[in-house]
Amino acid sequence: MKKPLIIILIATIITMLIAYGIGGIELILEGLKKAKKTAVSSALMLVASFILIGQLNVLLTKDLMDKWLQKFEGIKGILVGAIAGGLFPGGPYIYYPFISSFLDKELPFYILLSFLFGKYIYDFSRIPLEISLINPTTALIRNLITLPMPIVVGLLAYKFHDTLKGHFGLLEAGEKDGPNNNNT
Amino acid sequence: MAQTTIILSIAAILLMFVNARQNGKQYEGLKRGIKQMVQTAPLILGAFILAGIIEVIIPEEFVKSWLSTEAGFKGIFLGTFAGMILAMGPYAAFPIAASILVSGAGLGTVVALITGWCLLSLMKMPFETAFFGVKFFISKLLFSLPFAIISGLIAHLLEIFLF
Repeated sequence: MKKPLIIILIATIITMLIAYGIGGIELILEGLKKAKKTAVSSALMLVASFILIGQLNVLLTKDLMDKWLQKFEGIKGILVGAIAGGLFPGGPYIYYPFISSFLDKELPFYILLSFLFGKYIYDFSRIPLEISLINPTTALIRNLITLPMPIVVGLLAYKFHDTLKGHFGLLEAGEKDGPNNNNT
Repeated sequence: MAQTTIILSIAAILLMFVNARQNGKQYEGLKRGIKQMVQTAPLILGAFILAGIIEVIIPEEFVKSWLSTEAGFKGIFLGTFAGMILAMGPYAAFPIAASILVSGAGLGTVVALITGWCLLSLMKMPFETAFFGVKFFISKLLFSLPFAIISGLIAHLLEIFLF
């Protein structure tokens, strides 16, 4: 958490300097007032969001997701992969090793892609934050528009399996329907 | 705002009940949520300040010609690109997206920005290259780009015809 905080602090200092250059201390104060207003108005919402995120984290475990993914193939696999990606708990230190383990488990490439895009696009534990920090209407519209994307990606990978796998540099990865079964 | 808080609170309570029945880990979930909130509080606060300052320094003229609904495709492309270079987590990226929206940016721009951030954010680069290789990262980037632009385009058309 330290590194992102440092990035934010540096970005804030730079923007504050720009604000000072444009409109002096008054403009900085105006920005701070807006920040205070946002913080106050979204404080309760954030508390509720984090409680929700905590509950989701204990309900949806890595083992449960693993079980789901091993069970399905084909179009069902794509759907389950995308949803499991969205439900998968934790940050990048947890989900990247989990996804890379797909290669060892010989899970098809299209499930890997639909899971990855499901995580990126859906990430259900992120939705409460999106609602609280942006606004419910924009969050709803964004989620509805992007809803088919992980499934479309999975279907494309399913249809153009070998070509896409080659492009993604994962040809040597072993999997059920792949030509080679030598995991690296 | 209050309505959203109520909905989120109801969802949280319902999930607590589900956890209580399924695994008895409702208090662990509560602890985890609060711990995560305390850990990310400085980051969220910092992001609010950054977003507040961005909101006041973005020139109106820039918003009008580059980010607003009237900017059309320009806004969508710029939003996608901004999402890509926004190498920050949701705690920071969402307040920034909100500040751009409040400044007068079009829905297409903001949706392209969020989708671009979801799919293309350079923050993912170290992980994707480490776990899947550089080729995977570049291919995924090129493969995802049209999705971010299309999402912005759909939002832009929705804003024109529905709102």
